[in-house]
Amino acid sequence: MTQLLPTPLVSLTALNRTFSGGKRLLGKPRTMNAVSDVTLQIERGSVTGVVGESGCGKSTLARLALRLIEPTSGSVVFDGVDIRSLSPKTMRQMRRRMQMVFQDPYSAIDPRYRLQDALLEPFRLQGIKLTKLEAKAKVEELLPMVGLRPELARSFPHQLSGGQKQRACIARALALQPEFLVLDEPTASLDVSIQAQIIGLLERLKAELGLTYLFISHDLSLVRYFSDKIVVMYLGRVVELLPEPSALPRHPYTKALLDSTFEPDPKLRRTVTPAVGEIPSAFDLPQGCAYASRCPFAQDRCRIERPELEPRPEGSLRNVVGNIPLHAHPVACHFPLPLTSS
Amino acid sequence: MTLSEDSTFYRVVSSPGGALSTLFLVTVIFVAIFADWLAPYSFEIQNLPMANTPPSAEHWLGTDEFGRDVLSRIIHGARTSLKVSVAAISVSVCVGMFLGAMSGYLGGTFDRIVTAVVDLTWSFPEILIALIFVAIVGAGMYSTMMAIGIAYLAQFTRLTRAQILSLKNETYVEATVSLGARPLHIVFAHLLPNALPPIIVAAMLATGDGIILEATLGFFGLGAQPPIPSWGGMMSNGTAQMFTAPWIIVFPGLMVALSVIAINMLGDSLIRALDIRSQVRTA
Amino acid sequence: MSLLAVDDLSISIGNITLLEGITFSVDKGQVLGIVGESGSGKSLTALTVMGLLPLSRGRIRSGSMVFDGVELTTLPERAYRKLRGSRIAFIAQNPMTSLDPVMSVGDQIDQVLRLHLKMTRKAARLRSIELLSQLRIPEAFEVCKLYPHQLSGGMKQRIVIAMALAADPDLIIADEPTTALDVTVQAQIIELLVQLVRQRDMALMLITHDMGVIAHACDQVVVLYAGRVAESNETGAIFRHQSHPYTEALIRCIPRAGMAPGSLKGIPGSVPSVAAYKSGCRFHPRCPIATDVCRTETPQIRTTADGGYVACHFTAGVQE
Repeated sequence: MTQLLPTPLVSLTALNRTFSGGKRLLGKPRTMNAVSDVTLQIERGSVTGVVGESGCGKSTLARLALRLIEPTSGSVVFDGVDIRSLSPKTMRQMRRRMQMVFQDPYSAIDPRYRLQDALLEPFRLQGIKLTKLEAKAKVEELLPMVGLRPELARSFPHQLSGGQKQRACIARALALQPEFLVLDEPTASLDVSIQAQIIGLLERLKAELGLTYLFISHDLSLVRYFSDKIVVMYLGRVVELLPEPSALPRHPYTKALLDSTFEPDPKLRRTVTPAVGEIPSAFDLPQGCAYASRCPFAQDRCRIERPELEPRPEGSLRNVVGNIPLHAHPVACHFPLPLTSS
Repeated sequence: MTLSEDSTFYRVVSSPGGALSTLFLVTVIFVAIFADWLAPYSFEIQNLPMANTPPSAEHWLGTDEFGRDVLSRIIHGARTSLKVSVAAISVSVCVGMFLGAMSGYLGGTFDRIVTAVVDLTWSFPEILIALIFVAIVGAGMYSTMMAIGIAYLAQFTRLTRAQILSLKNETYVEATVSLGARPLHIVFAHLLPNALPPIIVAAMLATGDGIILEATLGFFGLGAQPPIPSWGGMMSNGTAQMFTAPWIIVFPGLMVALSVIAINMLGDSLIRALDIRSQVRTA
Repeated sequence: MSLLAVDDLSISIGNITLLEGITFSVDKGQVLGIVGESGSGKSLTALTVMGLLPLSRGRIRSGSMVFDGVELTTLPERAYRKLRGSRIAFIAQNPMTSLDPVMSVGDQIDQVLRLHLKMTRKAARLRSIELLSQLRIPEAFEVCKLYPHQLSGGMKQRIVIAMALAADPDLIIADEPTTALDVTVQAQIIELLVQLVRQRDMALMLITHDMGVIAHACDQVVVLYAGRVAESNETGAIFRHQSHPYTEALIRCIPRAGMAPGSLKGIPGSVPSVAAYKSGCRFHPRCPIATDVCRTETPQIRTTADGGYVACHFTAGVQE
């Protein structure tokens, strides 16, 4: 019996997006490759994590996946439909099935809207007529779903705490019962205690409603906790794809991200953090590996030739930890870390 | 109607300046509306034997060179002044908001053209634009209205555009787009309502300026034509008897000054009540 | 004797008591972590030690703060001004707003040196360059000439640290110095601060909401909740065994490797606002083990078996 490969809910193919900006006084304007050549499959019911520092293009990728911005080239296929080919009208209808939760809950709801009006706006936008009773029932169904008291329906955003606002934003995103949710650093502006609440809520909702997530964060420990597979981005490119959260990192950048997380255990205290410097500007990228300037293992070849994202069968054939076939673990590095390291 | 303690209106009238100016302006508006009943005499019937009588029990504010009651003419003049300035500024605000919102939200060529025209008119004083317009179209109440409206159009287009430009980067705009909203919905349901407070205050202050502009045009004989009284026209007539019958020019002048002061005071207390000081100043 | 000893400090604004019975101390060469959620009173504690309480119209109700033998609660503003910047320095959360955008960063560090150490222009610049090199900034000479907008967030925070270090202070107070930064940069900055404390024999008060940062940087920890000390102890001891349910909950908020899905729960509810403080233990509405006594009686601070302090009615292993 042949096993059917699950068709992904969303597949991004060779996505590119350049921004022009930072105009020089003379000469042509500079361009920035925010996202370069990203190919990614997002399976139904899974959590795909995207991790990287600010400026790595992860937020641009999120917006490309929902066609909130247009790609320069490449395709986005959602449930078999190339959403780039849709007319504005059909695209607006399609939005019902794909939603986003934003980083900054403080400005994600119009300050002049009461919570109930913000929750009912999606229905109005999609031309779904609700009677007064239906509308009331919807609000009373949505608020408890995200752990908010129904009495809050008449409050304005400024009367809510950060955590409550983010819950409200999640409720709003879920109002139209989407299948796919893009979470763009949904907890980055919240306290860790509230972050854990929100992540717990998102886990519960995923199980209850069968959602598919694209989860974007700069915190690798959070992404490892929450995701089924992890995409590591650096300056617009995918540098490594970890097929399982526990897979050992092979790209020196992924390793550096992992080494930078602070686990709540003083026994794991490091004495020396790798002095990896900071992400350079995305304008005027070098021709070789973009990470070479910060990489402790960089050699001449890295500065000249850009490594492709592909499986690198050096070392043993299986990732020792997760027992993952190597073809599922591509890495863009000429000298990937051996799998038995650490 | 219940008056909640944090409503804008409550905060305005709870300050002495706000209360005083509101009271004054409400009285002026009331008088203007019911001028036909309130004015003790007709504003147009001449009574030459009574010309240039000083204020008395019969004519509280005296009579003018044709023997018409100054108080009655001021009451009817309030109607002209308010009608012209309020109508002119309303048109200006509506058109300016539309142009500003479209050019701020859409950007591109439309924005470049609007900005260029606005910058060009912005570089002339309002009075000059109004004078040029009246010179072309001809004097009269309606052309004064249009002249003032056009003179202030640049200000509101510019203010709205600046507001929209800063508001359109708010996350809730992107969030609403991702829910499937059309551009018009974004502009009318989210951007304009949030841009409104500073525009209201600017409109308030511009109405004050509009009264001055109307009086100025009237003074030059370009405003409402006789026998319709306007404060500016009355002052213009009064200049000839400035030393022999000063009441003819002083009382309409006082009304212009008091109305403008009241409007500005109300505008200031609105700024405080809406807490938008920074937005109005920078725009 | 400790460099800074705060004892039973209470702060109020108007009639509202914001901090109550705050007690901690920090020695030279040590890092003290002050941890809690937003609204727990961490930043207010920092403000109080800096003597900046009058700015927010706060008032010290009772207690003492002794810094190097000097009582700070009664210190006149003039004397306080001499301490600030030269002996007690402050690093704010957002480096973007702590630097002057129209002044080169070198000039900004020079300014501190010339003000507090009365250095000449030339000497100040040489010292600035030296400071920046110590903070592992490459090409420090060139960086001095740059303006804040030309630098990355991490670089700006290093400049702020250089300004704090310039006058060679004895105590640095850092209020969430890495919250606005990326994880890789956060690791570098924290590492750098800890190293500086050890090398220069300074004391550091590190304010954070992240138990991960505490685990990696601090020697001593004070856990604050709603204006009161919940627990305080040495870092190792606190991570081995938490005497207060709040401390335990805070640690469990941080995801760690190998955590099972669904095990990250967070702390239900949120920190009450000052106006809504309940009677008894302020943590009781969110506490998994609260009983009636927690709702009525305020728990007193007690010594724990492992040498720390805790304010909880129910703590296993606590000896009176």
